[in-house]
Amino acid sequence: MDFLGFILAQCLSALSQAAILFFIACGLTLIFGIMRIVNFAHGAIFMLGAYVGVTTVAVTGSFLLSLFVAPIVVGAVGMAFERLFLRRLYGRRDGGAYLLLTFGLAVVLSELIRVIWGAQPLSAGIPDFLRGIVVILGQPFPLYRLFLIVLGIAAAIAVWQFLERTRAGLLIRAVSQNAEMVHALGTDIDLVRTGVFGFGCAMAALGGVLAAPLVTAFLGMGTTVVIDAFVIVIIGGMGSFLGSLIGSTLVAFVQVLGAYYFQDLALALMYFLMLTVLVIRPGGLLGKEE
Amino acid sequence: MTTRQSATRRAVLKAVTAASALVAAPSFLRQASAANPIKIGIPTVITGGYALLGSQVMRTCKLVKKMTDAKGGVIGQPIEFVYQDTQGDPATCVRKCHELVERDNCRILTGVIVSSEAAAMLPKLEEWNAIFISHGNGDGRLTAELLVPRFFRANTSAPMGARALALYLKDAPEKKFIAIASDAAWGRSSNAAFEEQIKKVGKDLVDKIYAPVANKDYSPYITKILQSGAQGCYVALQGDEARAFYSQATQYGLAQRVQFFTEIVAQADIKVLGRDAIGLMGSSRYPLTYDVPQNTAFREAFMSEYKNEIPDWSDGEMYQAMMILFAAIEKAGSPEPMKIVAAMEDLDVTSVKGPVLMRKCDHQGENQGFVVKVAKNDKYAEPIGEIVKIYPRELNTPDCRSASYSK
Amino acid sequence: MNAKVGLAVAAAVCALLPLVVPQYALTILIEALIFGLFAMSLDLMVGYCRLYSFGHAAAYGLGAYSAALILTHLGPPLPIGILIAVAVTIVVAIPIAWICTRSTGVSFAMLTLAFAQLGYAMLFRFRDITGGSDGIVGIPRPPGPFGITWFQGKTGYYYLVLGCLFGSYLLCRAIVRSPFGAVLSGIRENEAKTIALGYNTRAYKIATVVLAYGFGALAGALYAGFAGFASPELFFWLVSGRVLIMVVVGGAGTLIGPIIGGVFFVFLEHELSQITDLWPLIFGSIFIAFVMFAPEGIWGILSARFKADPQLPSAAGGKETSDAAA
Repeated sequence: MDFLGFILAQCLSALSQAAILFFIACGLTLIFGIMRIVNFAHGAIFMLGAYVGVTTVAVTGSFLLSLFVAPIVVGAVGMAFERLFLRRLYGRRDGGAYLLLTFGLAVVLSELIRVIWGAQPLSAGIPDFLRGIVVILGQPFPLYRLFLIVLGIAAAIAVWQFLERTRAGLLIRAVSQNAEMVHALGTDIDLVRTGVFGFGCAMAALGGVLAAPLVTAFLGMGTTVVIDAFVIVIIGGMGSFLGSLIGSTLVAFVQVLGAYYFQDLALALMYFLMLTVLVIRPGGLLGKEE
Repeated sequence: MTTRQSATRRAVLKAVTAASALVAAPSFLRQASAANPIKIGIPTVITGGYALLGSQVMRTCKLVKKMTDAKGGVIGQPIEFVYQDTQGDPATCVRKCHELVERDNCRILTGVIVSSEAAAMLPKLEEWNAIFISHGNGDGRLTAELLVPRFFRANTSAPMGARALALYLKDAPEKKFIAIASDAAWGRSSNAAFEEQIKKVGKDLVDKIYAPVANKDYSPYITKILQSGAQGCYVALQGDEARAFYSQATQYGLAQRVQFFTEIVAQADIKVLGRDAIGLMGSSRYPLTYDVPQNTAFREAFMSEYKNEIPDWSDGEMYQAMMILFAAIEKAGSPEPMKIVAAMEDLDVTSVKGPVLMRKCDHQGENQGFVVKVAKNDKYAEPIGEIVKIYPRELNTPDCRSASYSK
Repeated sequence: MNAKVGLAVAAAVCALLPLVVPQYALTILIEALIFGLFAMSLDLMVGYCRLYSFGHAAAYGLGAYSAALILTHLGPPLPIGILIAVAVTIVVAIPIAWICTRSTGVSFAMLTLAFAQLGYAMLFRFRDITGGSDGIVGIPRPPGPFGITWFQGKTGYYYLVLGCLFGSYLLCRAIVRSPFGAVLSGIRENEAKTIALGYNTRAYKIATVVLAYGFGALAGALYAGFAGFASPELFFWLVSGRVLIMVVVGGAGTLIGPIIGGVFFVFLEHELSQITDLWPLIFGSIFIAFVMFAPEGIWGILSARFKADPQLPSAAGGKETSDAAA
C-alpha cells in the first residue's frame, strides 16, 4: 500500500507539473504553427503573467480574478507586439529576423519587469480554499496541485474542442497548413496571426499565474522555462497541439521520476529524451518533417 | 528598396554610431579620480537572477558611505564605492574587476555575490595588485584549497553555518536527518560539512539530496524527504531556490512532519513566506536582535535610512566586512593593499556579530555561531529570527585551511 | 574600395591599437575579438549554409574546457594547448554534427541546443574533473615552443588573439570561395537542386558544422587562456543566443559582418552598463531597431555605403548590389 501510494503521489506530482508546462508549450506550438516563428520571448511572457497575476491578487485579493486578468492583459501586450513589430517581418526570407526580434523583446520585457516591480520577489497567495492537503493512500498531496491537474485537463479539452469544432479553430488549423490558400479564399490572415499570437501569450501568462504560488514571482523565472518549452514542443512536434500535450506529460514524468531516481543526471534527462525522439522521428512525435 | 527605407536605415546607423561614440569616449578616456579617496570596487549583481542580493550590497554600501562621510572618512580620507554589474557571471565579473582595478584604481574589492565569481577572481588578485574581502561567499574551499594571500573572508562560511546547527542538534530530540542542497559549489560544501558534523554528534544522516541549480519543481525531493522517515531536514538552498522549496513544502504540509533547519535564515525569504516561515530554524549569518552596541547602532541607522526595511543577512555581513576593513586600514595607517593585508591578519574587531578574529593562518574571520528560530516579534512588521543559541567563535570556525573540525 | 586594401588597413589599425589605448581597454578589446571570432565561426553555418544553431555555445565551451584541462594538467606550451583543444573539439563535433544533420530547420537548431545543454549538465555530473559550478580556475599560460613568452602578458595575448582572428578569417574566406563553398551556396539557395546535381549535401553540412565547431573552439580556448578560468556559464544557452544575435546584427553570410557584430555587441554591452542600470532595455531595443530598419545588419549598411567589392564572398550578394544601387 505504501509503495502504491508513493507511485500515485509521483504520478500526480508529474501531472501537476505537466499542467503548467502544457500551458506554456501549447502557446508556443500554436504560435509556431501559424507563424513559423520560434518565440524567444515566451519565457519573459510567462514571467510577466506571473507578476501581473501576483499584483492582481495583491490589489483585489482574488486569485480567481487573477486567472482571468493576467492572460487578458498579457495577451493584449502580445497582440500589440505582433501588430507593431512582428507583422513587419512577414515575407522576409531569413529566420534570423524573428530570432533577433523576439530575443530583443525578451531582454526588454525582462528589464521592464525589474524596473516596474523591483528586484524583490513577490509572494503569491493561494486562496485559502486551495490551501489544503489531501491524503492519498497515506501520502500527503497539496490540494493546489490537484487543482492544477484539473485546470490543465479542462484547458486541454477546451482548446482541443476549440480547434476541432469551432470555425475559428478550423481557420487556425487551415492557416497553419496553408496560409496562402486561406488568404486567397478571402480571410484576413493578419487577424488570425494577431489572434493566435495573443492567445499563445495568454496561455503562457496563465502558466505564469499558476506557477507563481509554487515558485514565487521572481526575476529570471523565465530563463529556464523558455528552453523547457522549446524542448517539449520539439518532442511533440512543432505546430501540433496534441503534441504539446503529450510532450508536456512526457517531459514532466521524466523530470519528476528522473529527479527522484537519477539525481545526478536530473539536468540532462530531458535532453536525452529529446535526442532519442529526434533520432527516431526527426520531426517530433506528431510533427511533420520540414 | 525605397529611398525612404534606406533613409531610415542611414538615420538609424548614424544615431547608433553617434550614441556609441558619445558613450565610448568618456568611458575610455575617463581618468582615474584624484588619489585622495579610498576606492572600493563593488563588482556585484545588478541585473539578473541574484539582483536582490546585489541590491542589498549596494544599499548597505551607500549607508556605510553616509556614515563614514559623517565621521570624516577613514584615516582622514573619504571612502568611494564604485559599482559594476557582473550579472552573476564569472566571465563578466573578471572583466569588470579588470576595469575597477585598472581604470578606476580600486585596490580593494568586495560585494561579490556568487561563489564561482569569487573563485575566478582569486588567482588574479596578484596580477591586479588588489585585495578581495568576502562579505558573503560561503564556499569552504575559498579559505582552503583556493586560498591566496590577498583574499580574506569576513563572513560566516557554509561549513560554519552547518557547524552551529550541528552543535545545536546534538541535544535536539530529532535523531534521523536528511539534507537537501543546491548543486552549486557552496551547496556541496554545506552538505558535506553538515554530514561530517551531524555524524560527529552521534546523529544519523539518511540521505543527501542535490537539486540542480535554478530548479523549480521540488515535488520529487519533497517526496523523498517524506519517504525517508527523517525527523529533521537540513536545507542548504538560497534565494529563489529556497523560496520555491519552502513554498512547495508548505503546500505539502512538510513542516508539520519534519523540522527544517536551514543553513542561512534570510529575511527576504521570511518576507515572502510570511506566516508560513514561523517555526523555521536555522543558522543565521546576521542575527538581527544580537545585543551589542555596534549592532544596535547599525540597525537603527539602517532602519532610519531605509524605512520599512529590516536588514537582511547580507546587509549585516557587508557592514561587518567594512568594519573589519576600516579597522585594518586604520591600523595600517594606509590604504595600500599589502599593508592592509599585514594589518588585517590576526585583527580582532567587535562588530555587529560580536567579536570577530581575522585568523592569520587562513584569512577566515572567526565568527560566533548563531542558531535562530523564526517567530513573530512585535517590534517588527515581519517575523524575524530570534536567537536560540550562540556558540563561541573558536568552536564555530573550522580548522585552519580546511572545512573540517577536529574539535 | 578594394577588399585587399581594406583588410590591410584594418589589420594595421588593429595592430597599432595597443599603443594608443589604455591597458584596461585592452581587456575589452581582447574579449571583443574573441567574440568576433566566435561569431564568425557560427556564420559558416548560419550565413553560408542556413543551418541555424541554438547550441553553438557547445563549441565555445568544449574549446574552453579542453584547453583548461590540457593546460592545467598537461602543461604544454599555450599555443600547442590551444591547438590540441581545437582538435579535441573537432573530434567530438563529428558525431554531434552527424546526429544533428539528420534533421532540418528548427529541429536541427533544437538538436544543437540539446547537445549544448547536455554538455552543461555533464559539467555538473563529472564535477571532479570539471570543477562543477565553479569550473576550472587558475589556468596557466605555459611558455614555448622554442621558449617564446610574448603571449604571457596582456599585450602579447592581444596579438595572439588578433593573429588567430585574421588567420581564421583568411582561412574561412578561402573555404567559402573554394568549390566547397560553392556547394554550400547551392545548399543554401536550393538544396533539392543541389542533391539532384549529385552532391551528398549531408556530408557537406556535416563538414560545415565541424568546421564551425573548430573555429568556435578556437575562440573558447583563447578565452580560457585569457581569463584563466572556464565555467559552466560558457555552455549555457544564453551564450548561444547571444552569438546568434551577433551574427544576425553583424550581417549573416559575410564573415566580416559577424566579426563586427561580435565586437559591436561586446562594446555596446560594456558601454551601456557603465551608464545606466537600465542597459538591458536599451540593448534589447537596439536589436529590435536593427531588425526593423537594418535587416542586412551592420555589414550590410557599411558595404552598401562603400559599394562593396563584388569579389567579397557574401551570401546576400544579390541583395547587396541592389541595395547599393538604391
